[in-house]
Amino acid sequence: MSAMARLELRRLFMRPLAWVLGALTLAWLAWNFTLLLGNFLAAQIRLAALPDGPGYTDLVGVPLLAQLAQLAFLVVPLLSMSTLAGERREGRLALLLGMGLMPTRIVLGKYAAVLAWLLAWLALTLAMPLALAHATSIDWGKLAAAALGVALLLAGLAALGLACSAFASHPALAAAAALVITLGLWAVNLGAQVAGVDDGALNWLAMSSHLQPMLRGLVASPDVVWFVLLGVVCLALAIRRVGAERERD
Amino acid sequence: MQGLDLALGRGQVLGLLGINGAGKSTTLAMIAGALAPDSGRVLLDGQELAEQPALARRLVGWLPERAPLWQELTVGEHLDAHGRLRGLKGAALKRARSSIVERLELAPLERRLAGVLSQGQRQRLGLACALVHQPALLVLDEPGNALDPVQLAALRALIREQAAAGTAVILSTHVLAEVTAVCDRVAILHEGTLRHDDVLAEHDHAALEQRFFAIATTKAAA
Repeated sequence: MSAMARLELRRLFMRPLAWVLGALTLAWLAWNFTLLLGNFLAAQIRLAALPDGPGYTDLVGVPLLAQLAQLAFLVVPLLSMSTLAGERREGRLALLLGMGLMPTRIVLGKYAAVLAWLLAWLALTLAMPLALAHATSIDWGKLAAAALGVALLLAGLAALGLACSAFASHPALAAAAALVITLGLWAVNLGAQVAGVDDGALNWLAMSSHLQPMLRGLVASPDVVWFVLLGVVCLALAIRRVGAERERD
Repeated sequence: MQGLDLALGRGQVLGLLGINGAGKSTTLAMIAGALAPDSGRVLLDGQELAEQPALARRLVGWLPERAPLWQELTVGEHLDAHGRLRGLKGAALKRARSSIVERLELAPLERRLAGVLSQGQRQRLGLACALVHQPALLVLDEPGNALDPVQLAALRALIREQAAAGTAVILSTHVLAEVTAVCDRVAILHEGTLRHDDVLAEHDHAALEQRFFAIATTKAAA
């Protein structure tokens, strides 16, 4: 792990915000896991009568991951807001540049740290349905596709959060901008859908169009490429903005 | 900044004087590699900094004004992080850390969070971070800020010691006594231009003060 990523990860784990976010969201997800599980158990007899009825993965595992995806809309901007905006405000970004660190190294190091935290968050959430793997039958393919979709979503949102943090003068502005852009990207195709258009450019642009197939167990390369593109574009913008710090007056 | 031409050899201590807004911090940020000049060059060991920013990583230690620290990290973690970011690893990092902790008497503070340090302790930690990789050029932006007289005397001794070991030091300040106490040379900046650059031995404190005030009270057009 690079020195920059190691430093940022250490800072993340020393900050109360990361712990509070982790604890509150995991408690919320654990509570919802028990509710989903209770509903699943209550419907066991009815579900057993259906020939192709939904199982544990459809009714517990995937809905739990979908809830994590919704929480990520708020968690990722809060987690990433001060990565660059806070450093700039405190004069530490200039110090890092003065150490001869390339903007790419600074941005990718911080990205790796945020992503590591988010993947640990995802792993802890996944551990809840997996804890009952011995007692139920899991559709491993469907769960893996949903986990991949959520992981790609987290990676894309982390890059977006970092880009907003690179451009914003204050961490709170970065968080607000990341949240608004995320919600915009999620719902950009709502109007088109209401009008009955499901295959236009707006539909392609919407994040929801690329996550939902994976939550249903369908992994298609265009969806994966969409998230990779989101990440690459956002990271490139963040690197460019940090590089421009050297040119300021 | 314009018309700035300065050269500094190993073991020399240059005092950079100027009133607030004269361009001292901008000059130091350019020398440290944090800012790119619009035109002109910064050469370190004969190599151009703009073409090889990694030079700053190896050769320069920079303490900006108001040492920027990570409040949530301890003193020890700061030293480790700065060492790693400068490319130190394993045993070399451990040696560098313990050496600087001993030299700057930071042992009692090693486990303390930077956020709870006093101003003087913060400044000392900033200095330790700038020195952890034993740079060839030490750039200090108003390092005496917030230090008490005892700490100031220790800082002067440290600068002299670094210079004796061959480190070139640039010290920015607006306190003339600090310059006369430790510097071999003095440069005076005013309104973004270099107005004076001379060996300090030729001046006594009164002459330097007279020269400084003469420059500091002139307008750019004069």
